[in-house]
Amino acid sequence: MSDGIEYFEDIEIGRVLEFGSKKMERREIIEFAKKYDPQPFHIDEEAAKDSIYGDVIASGWHTGSVTMRMMVDHMVNDRAGLGSPGFNNLKFKLPVRPGDTLQVRSTVMDKKRSRSRPNMGTIFGLVEVLNQKGDVVMSFESLGMIKARTLGEDD
Amino acid sequence: MTKRYWEDFSAGQVEEFGRRTLTEDEIIEFATEFDPQFFHTDPVAAKDHFFGGLIASGWHTGSTLMRMMVDHQFANSSSMGSPGLDELRWVSPVRPNETLTAKSEVLETHPHPKRDDRGIVKFRHTVLNGDGDVKMTMISNVMFGRRPEEKA
Repeated sequence: MSDGIEYFEDIEIGRVLEFGSKKMERREIIEFAKKYDPQPFHIDEEAAKDSIYGDVIASGWHTGSVTMRMMVDHMVNDRAGLGSPGFNNLKFKLPVRPGDTLQVRSTVMDKKRSRSRPNMGTIFGLVEVLNQKGDVVMSFESLGMIKARTLGEDD
Repeated sequence: MTKRYWEDFSAGQVEEFGRRTLTEDEIIEFATEFDPQFFHTDPVAAKDHFFGGLIASGWHTGSTLMRMMVDHQFANSSSMGSPGLDELRWVSPVRPNETLTAKSEVLETHPHPKRDDRGIVKFRHTVLNGDGDVKMTMISNVMFGRRPEEKA
């Protein structure tokens, strides 16, 4: 199609996209956590010194939300997406610290056309979030619903 | 309330807590920063979408659950953060002015495999609205410090 939007048939298994660059400022980490995750090791610089982390770290929900923003800016709007039912196996592998710069690596692992509604399908992805050293700080297995161009008789 | 340690959680424990209403302005504000898809940010355009109106970003719903968990379960505890979530499902859309509450069930607890000063609690959390409709479910793992006097 000429509109540049990708449908179920266009998504290739194995495709890897890397995108985004988001610096996590100290004040943003504390501000987000004060609203949504006010645990001492996210909001209190003094208390965080005595925690296992040694300084404030970003709430996992902040890292996840920032990841969503990078996915929307660079990937979601290019697809005929129909939302997501959720995700599996999210791992917080390393703390996200003030000043870290995050980017996303998204890999298409599999796709399945819906049996009950063959005009749509599910894309199974692996989303990895990396810091400026290239270390994976968070990963999860994404599920994305997407429209199909055809009813898939030829699949 | 006495401080809660890993030893204070056991499989089968159920708690219900929290009460939080997301307004249209709050839904738009969160999504403008973190999830700017039009059905999260534009109430007019959202009417023509298959959700039939503005809905909250799933990350907003999840973050709101986290706040309820911190306020009611973790505030006076030895919580040390989370290694991750096994599963999260956005079961039905969260719309403006719905009042959200949370239910927590402890699925299992086990000592940390490498560190004897902490343990892991596996929870299933459910976000519901005032009518008892399920909005989101999540299975998570949370690290808690062990009660000091019980350390070997």
